[in-house]
Amino acid sequence: MKDIVRILIAPLVWLASFSAVYGLHGLICGHGIDGTVFGVVSLPRLLLVGAYGLSILIQVGLVWALHSARLGSPSPFVRFVSRATGWVGLVSAVWALLPTVTSTYCL
Amino acid sequence: MNTLQRHRKLTAIWASEPGVRGLFSTVNHTDLGRMFLAVSFFFFLVGGVLAMLIRAQLATPQSAFAGPEIYNQIFTMHGTIMMFLFAIPTFEGLAMYLLPKLLGTRDLAFPRLSAYGFWCYVFGGAMMLVSMVLGIAPDGGWFMYPPLTGPLYSPGINTDFWLIGITFVEISAIAAAVEITVSILKYRAPGMSLDKMPIFAWYALVTSLMVLTGFPPLILGSILLELERAFGLPFFQAEFGGDSLLWQHLFWLFGHPEVYIIFLPAAGVISTILPVMCRTTLLGYGWIVASATGLAFLSFGIWVHHMFTTGIPHMGLAFFSAASTLVAVPTGVQLFAWIGTMWKGRPSLQMPMLHLLGFFFTFVIGGLTGVMVAVVPFDWQAHDTAFVTAHLHYVLFGGFVFPIMAGLYYWMPHVSGRKRFFRLGELAFALVFIGFHVTFMAMHWVGLMGQRRRISTYLPEDGWTTINLISSIGSFVLAIGIALVIVDLVLHAFAARRSRRDPWKAGTLEWAMMTPPPAYNFASLPHVNSRQPLSDDPDLTIRLARGEGYLPEPENGWRESLTVEISTGKPDFHVIYPTNTRLPIVMAAVTGVFFVSLLLKFYWTVPLAVVGVTILAWRWAWSLGHKADLPLRAIGHGFELPNATQVGQSPSWWGSVFLLTANATFFGSLLFGFAFLWTVAPSWPPPVWFSASLLELVLGLSGAGVGVVAIRQSARANAQGRDARVSLGVSFAGALAMAAAALGIVLRAPTPTEHAYGATLLVLGSYALFHALLGALMMAFLYARVVRGYTSVRRHAEFPVVTLWIDYLAGMSLLVLAVAHLPGLLG
Repeated sequence: MKDIVRILIAPLVWLASFSAVYGLHGLICGHGIDGTVFGVVSLPRLLLVGAYGLSILIQVGLVWALHSARLGSPSPFVRFVSRATGWVGLVSAVWALLPTVTSTYCL
Repeated sequence: MNTLQRHRKLTAIWASEPGVRGLFSTVNHTDLGRMFLAVSFFFFLVGGVLAMLIRAQLATPQSAFAGPEIYNQIFTMHGTIMMFLFAIPTFEGLAMYLLPKLLGTRDLAFPRLSAYGFWCYVFGGAMMLVSMVLGIAPDGGWFMYPPLTGPLYSPGINTDFWLIGITFVEISAIAAAVEITVSILKYRAPGMSLDKMPIFAWYALVTSLMVLTGFPPLILGSILLELERAFGLPFFQAEFGGDSLLWQHLFWLFGHPEVYIIFLPAAGVISTILPVMCRTTLLGYGWIVASATGLAFLSFGIWVHHMFTTGIPHMGLAFFSAASTLVAVPTGVQLFAWIGTMWKGRPSLQMPMLHLLGFFFTFVIGGLTGVMVAVVPFDWQAHDTAFVTAHLHYVLFGGFVFPIMAGLYYWMPHVSGRKRFFRLGELAFALVFIGFHVTFMAMHWVGLMGQRRRISTYLPEDGWTTINLISSIGSFVLAIGIALVIVDLVLHAFAARRSRRDPWKAGTLEWAMMTPPPAYNFASLPHVNSRQPLSDDPDLTIRLARGEGYLPEPENGWRESLTVEISTGKPDFHVIYPTNTRLPIVMAAVTGVFFVSLLLKFYWTVPLAVVGVTILAWRWAWSLGHKADLPLRAIGHGFELPNATQVGQSPSWWGSVFLLTANATFFGSLLFGFAFLWTVAPSWPPPVWFSASLLELVLGLSGAGVGVVAIRQSARANAQGRDARVSLGVSFAGALAMAAAALGIVLRAPTPTEHAYGATLLVLGSYALFHALLGALMMAFLYARVVRGYTSVRRHAEFPVVTLWIDYLAGMSLLVLAVAHLPGLLG
């Protein structure tokens, strides 16, 4: 079962983080969270970009773990597939949550 | 024992009852697979006839063929039947028929569950058909958006048929998904490690996991909408704290993965057949597995792309637009792997290959228009037009029907043992292909000209007349093509001459047996060393029939098989299956009484049905296991295995894991709904919050703690040969304490008809209460098993199963308590 988990973990975490960032965005807009930090940085933007960065960091950690000898699978096939799905998770996190940086948030 | 004696003995053990009686008591996967496929193709024909009625209506402007009321029922039932009663059950039927054969085993993990799922599907589907015959079929579109489908705008019984009937049918999907998942992970031939699994099994595994996590949001949505319609709980009514957009979220959390739930098994068929048709092996097996997995997850992250026109902020739109474009990547990887397979092989233009080419041409167009509608500005223009209808038909017909037709022609010699001899199939394919493209290419065009979906008629001055007429003519050509396919298949089944085994020279294990297949599949189970075991060893079939594989000698008249360790394929447990029984059909019928009672609002029969299902489920589980320890079973080749009732992670444990996965998704969707309403819905905060109760909190918390600890103590006591009953009694008390805490929420929730907050608490409390009572029932069952001698130090498999459910109950109860009591505690 560990090998199945290795294959599923990165896209599963992507799905959770994607949904969480969308949920955070909903909370910010639904509850009218606003304001600035240090007088210059918009709080909603900071929260969203922070969550985006955290999602990427987690995915980088997973890719690293799946490539490591200690946590990667002993089976060459599972190692290949799990690394491929690991990269799916990382690329998906970078691309699908990029709007946190580029788009207006509550318009 | 010689080969013939072995065949006769195994047939006597595994065969269904003779004649029609056998249909009602069979639990054999070959029978049930064929029955599933027969019924699903019947529904395909019904859905097809409805499509013809739609095209007849739209062929001319201001048509008087059907009035708007009937037309609404026709298009709703067309979509509903094709999605829920044809596509998903076809996957289930195909997987049930094929998987044990492809995996080199004798049956699926839970044969009675297959049968129960099948009968739920038949009874649920029959409910839908009855509604149509009576002229009271659902009429709110296949995605049933409230407020149109709410009690105010759809007061009749039509919508209830959909909500209740489809939920009934979905039991079948969940049952099949649990069955297929456990079967693929555990019920394989020895030696079949993950890298040697047939590619169809990978696709079926991914699809089944998607069903387990994709269907629960829709089941939840259906329950909430039915509660609103029947009892006035305002989940989707904005003036009472509800929000109709909640339905769209829940529906599309199911609905978008549904597209891939339909496509992925078809892709499995393609990946299996294409290399055989090209006389080569599949290119990029590992890439395909990774792509299918990635695609499955991505498909869950794009549900909002069906809601681009609902006023969601730009950033939300951009998230889902970006994720939607990503889907093209793993899909493209698979397409290029298939093209590469054709490139490296020598394609042979036989019937299955024709349909595969039809798939390529059609599905690529559907995929490209999919990328178009993933782009928000384009979607805003095309949304709810015939363009989208055309797009989805290119994806679903191209991505499912063509591959399934290829599969039909490919595996018909396996099912019938006969070889096709007429050339009708080629003509049928030509008509289907031309008819389809004429119909739906025209529909793209008229959609871009502004024709909306679901309209019952239009005016001559709209300028859509000629295109609609062309589309309708195309659809009738398509229908003639489908009719010819049926004629071809009927001729094949009854008039064709006997075929030799493995007519395509395929290398997968389903061909390593007689055709039509015997009830037991393999006289002895193979050892697998590669993905193409039959190509590697052409004599494998004969050697297995001679008993040179595993489990060659039947023992005690048992239906036997074995399981393997998930990753390595090393044999781990010996399994004894249940035999033919009418229990599944009876239980499905009693389950049907429950749903029909809700539909007709005969609420006094609901508890009777619940009691009936409980008694039958008790009997179902009771018939498993033994009163004496079983010795290790020698399976051949020097292996001796313990029986599955004498291990920690038995098949039932694995089944519970995946059933709880679906259950947890349901619960997660409910929490999401609560958070969504709280955050987004108007008319919040509610007029009154739930008042926290220290007594209920203490009761719930202590019940959860005691339940979890005591069930483990009982397992430990059993393992040490001590009396487990006292600990079981304590755990039972813990479950009752959790039930009491949940009952407090149910009884004290703010008036549920006045605000969605109270309604949601009522559902959360009821969910926790149901599980607490279920946990108590399981504990009572285990207690009775201990008393009657079904457990021992070695026979301990039932303890981990109940522990799993009690752990879930405890964790879920704590979350429900927190959600209900925290607002009151925080003031």
